[in-house]
This record gives sequence, C-alpha cells and structure tokens, in this order.
Amino acid sequence: MIEVRDLVKVFDTRGQVVRAVDHVTTQVAKGEVLVVIGPSGSGKSTFLRCLNGLEEFDSGSVSIDGLQLADPKTDVNAYRREVGMVFQHFNLFPHMTVLENLCLAQKVVRKRGKQEREAKALALLEKVGIAQKAREFPSRLSGGQQQRVAIARALAMEPKVMLFDEPTSALDPEMVGEVLDVMKTLALEGMTMVCVTHEMGFAREVADRVLFFDHGKLLEDAAPAEFFNTPKDPRAQAFLRQVL
Amino acid sequence: MKQKKAQWPWHLLTVVVLVGLAGALYYATSLMSYEWRWNRVPQYFAYQAETSQRAADISTVVELVRKGDMAEVTLRNDAGVEQKLTVADNSLQVARGDDVAEGDVVGVTRQWALGPLMWGLWTTLWLSVVSGILGLAIGLATGLCRLSKNPTLRDLSTIYVELVRGTPLLVQIFIFYFFIGTVLNLSREFAGIAALSLFTGAYVAEIVRAGVQSITRGQDEAARSLGLSASQSMRHVVLPQAFKRVLPPLAGQFISLVKDTSLVSVIAITELLKSGREVITTSFSPFEILFCVAGLYLLINLPLSKMASRLERRLAQSD
Repeated sequence: MIEVRDLVKVFDTRGQVVRAVDHVTTQVAKGEVLVVIGPSGSGKSTFLRCLNGLEEFDSGSVSIDGLQLADPKTDVNAYRREVGMVFQHFNLFPHMTVLENLCLAQKVVRKRGKQEREAKALALLEKVGIAQKAREFPSRLSGGQQQRVAIARALAMEPKVMLFDEPTSALDPEMVGEVLDVMKTLALEGMTMVCVTHEMGFAREVADRVLFFDHGKLLEDAAPAEFFNTPKDPRAQAFLRQVL
Repeated sequence: MKQKKAQWPWHLLTVVVLVGLAGALYYATSLMSYEWRWNRVPQYFAYQAETSQRAADISTVVELVRKGDMAEVTLRNDAGVEQKLTVADNSLQVARGDDVAEGDVVGVTRQWALGPLMWGLWTTLWLSVVSGILGLAIGLATGLCRLSKNPTLRDLSTIYVELVRGTPLLVQIFIFYFFIGTVLNLSREFAGIAALSLFTGAYVAEIVRAGVQSITRGQDEAARSLGLSASQSMRHVVLPQAFKRVLPPLAGQFISLVKDTSLVSVIAITELLKSGREVITTSFSPFEILFCVAGLYLLINLPLSKMASRLERRLAQSD
C-alpha cells in the first residue's frame, strides 16, 4: 500500500549537512502495523513526515496506492486527505471546540453537511471515549484526552493510512495507556499504521514489523519477536540494551 | 506570609497629585491674566440657527395670532392674495396694520444646528472609519504577501512597508495631495484617505506578519495533514488565532489612526483640529477650545480601547 524507494532527505543548515533519511527503501502492506524505533535524531520522525509530504524529500519516491507524492501532477492536498497524522504535541486547534476540531476538515475538504459531519465526529469521540467533552475547548482537556481527540480528528477524514509521530512522548506516564489502547483498537480493526514511538511494549504486542533507524539509515526490518530477541545490527543491539 | 495591604491610601494620593497639578495649572494661567470664558464654548457644539421670514410682496399685516412663543402673521397684498408666516414671537418686527414692502423681514424662525466642532468631529470620525477599514484590508493583504513564497510579492510588500514606515506621515500627505493628487486630479478627501490608509496598512502589515509568525508551525502542519490547502489553513486555523493575538497592537494602531487624522488639516480638510482652529479665530478662547478638541479625541478613543479589551476578553474564552 505504501511504497518507499531510495528515500533521501538532507538538512543543510549553515553548512552543516545532516542526512536525516539516507536511502531508505521499504513498503507497507494494507492492514499492516509498522513501528519505527531508534535513538533521537535518527531520522525516524523525518521519515514519517516525508510519507505525507510535510517534509519535502531530496530524492527517491513515496507512493500510496500507486499515487506518487513527488509527481508534480499529484494534488498534494488530495493525497494528504487519505493519510491521517497524529503529532507528538497534539496540535489541536485551540480556538475551536473539540467538535469543531473534528468537523473543520470534513466541512472544508470533504464538503460534508452539518448533520453528517457532526454525527461522524460524535461517533468517533464515542469510540475514543470522550464524547462528553465534545463542546469543551482543548485547553480544558488533559494531555491524554487531547491526543485521543487528535486521533479522532485524523480518523474523521476516513484515511487509508494513519501516521503516528511519537504520540505518547509528551504525555504524563499515567495517560500513556489510554492513548495506546485507542491505537491498539485501531490496529485490530485493520487500519494501516506507521508509528514512531518509544513504547517497546506496544511495538512487541501490536506491530507486524519493526523498523530500526540510526543516523538516517534503516538498519533493521524484522518481525517484533525476531527484532527484540535476536537483533542483527550491533547498533540495534546496543539500543535495545539501553531501553529494555 | 504575604500581608494584604489596603490600596485606597494610594488611590487617595493619586487624587491629591492630580488636584495639585490642576491647581498649579490654574495658578499659572492666572499669572498671565487669561480670562476663561467657558460660557462661549457650547455655541460651537450646537446653536440656534435663525432663518429670516420675509414678505413676498407689498402688503399689509391683516392678522397677528400669538401661539405660545410663536406668532402667526397673515399678510394681504393689493390683489387680495394672503401670505401666512410663522415666526418666533420675540423676533417679531411688525404690528397689526403695518405696511410692509417686498423683502421686508417679518421675523425669524429658529432651529438647532450643529456647530463647527461637531462637524469637525463627524469628519474626523468618517475619515478614521474609512481609512481604518481600507488600512486593515491593505495591511492584511500586505502582511500575507510578506510571508508569501513568491519572491516578487515578498519584495514588493517589503519595499512598500519600508518606504511608508521610513517617511513621516505629514510628508506622505503632502506628496499625495500636491503630487499624486495633482497628477491624477484627486480631491483632497481622497488624497487624505489614501495617505492615511496606506500609512496604516504598512503598520497593520507588520502586525499581521508578526501575528501569523507567532502561531506555531504545528498548527499549520496539523491543518495541512488533514488535507486543507495552504490558503484554507491560513483562513480557518492560523489567521483566527493570529487575530486574537494581535488585537491589542491592532487596537493601538487604530487609536493612532484617529489621532493622525488631525494631520490632514494641512491639506485643508476641515476635521476636528482644523475646525477647532477656525473656532479659535472667532472666539478668541484658544485654551478652552483646544481642551474641548482634546476631549473630543478622547471621546472617540476611550470607547475604542474599551471595545478592544472587551473583544479580547471574549476571544480569550478558549484559553
């Protein structure tokens, strides 16, 4: 479903050249759950952001369902409609209520009627367990609740793929569980997901494949059992010794 | 432990200081033997205008009926045609049986009319409103151009902002009236409004730019990741938040604009300051009139800043 070929992204700031994504090739099948792990600065977030064009890559190709992101004929807005994204810092729209957050893109992009979009929004809020907060502003919600709203907001567009960029890293420890539970439910329902995360338990339990990044390079691509028990790359071995 | 101290003695001190200043001012003016004549001021706000009522033909006053403080006069000419006039009783110039010639004043009628200060206030108000709306539109467009990816738009908007901010408004008004106004044959009001709105636009552009840049990139990214286009994201997500943030400097800019309209008096637009100066030449009471003019500017600006802080509080409900 997702095809990444020879992806390269170079950051060049004041003469300092950083190869954030360095010749990465991989693919994700429909319904597959990928977990991307690696030390900070390894380029895993940049890789994820390249998948929906938030970061423009330098060479290589990314496609979803055959639609090439780098093709100038591709409407990038139409492309992004099919790719939901959840951010580390939630990025809810603070000037709108929870319900309006979920309805904005449905209204502006999908042109859904008021009743249809609100019904959809309320059903999704019900699903992530915060239907009673629909009329509140995001600032009144806890971090965990905000992140669940952010997931519901992305789902409201009925995307084919969901990208998660360290969705639990900015949360208090007690709130991590509620967000991971929502993600697990999504995975069980067959959503195609790519998650950058530090939650090794989640990776072990839910992932179909684990990708390990370091210095922009994809060093390991294996099933979780294989990756956690018998990592091949020495840097992956060192990383796992640190985090487990 | 922090102790709660009473605030009122300090407020009392404030009052004492203000009264002291007013007293010193009064003493200073009394030294130069200035005669305060506040009773002359109200007529420049509103006065009773008189309209003369004249006889239309050589005729005789055949009837005179007093109704309250008005008098109804009936004139009849040689041909027997009657003319009825209603005038103020105490201005009546004729008695029953008098003969009047064509054009003779029989009396006057009085009605309230706005004085020059009120007309000046009205001119200042509409100049401010029109220039403010135009300035906001220009500023919004220019501010977005400053942030545009297109180098030409960026360059042009930067040049405009720097040119306007780097030259005095007074010079701009002169250029607009004497140079551009002459070339394009503009009226003085048009030249004045153009100068004021372009001047305000440059400052609003910088306020808009700062506001948009103060919204974290994550907001735009979240909107774009949902499939919104760049302009939809700007319109629905970034600008509403930026507007909330720039409301205080924006209000300050409009308050400045109201005060800056006083500068167009140099191209002979009779706004509040110019009508004040005209009134001074007839009333010989410069101090009173200038205080009134200052008071009228305050009368516009105090509610304006009150409104801005009210709006600010209403928009803050989502925080």
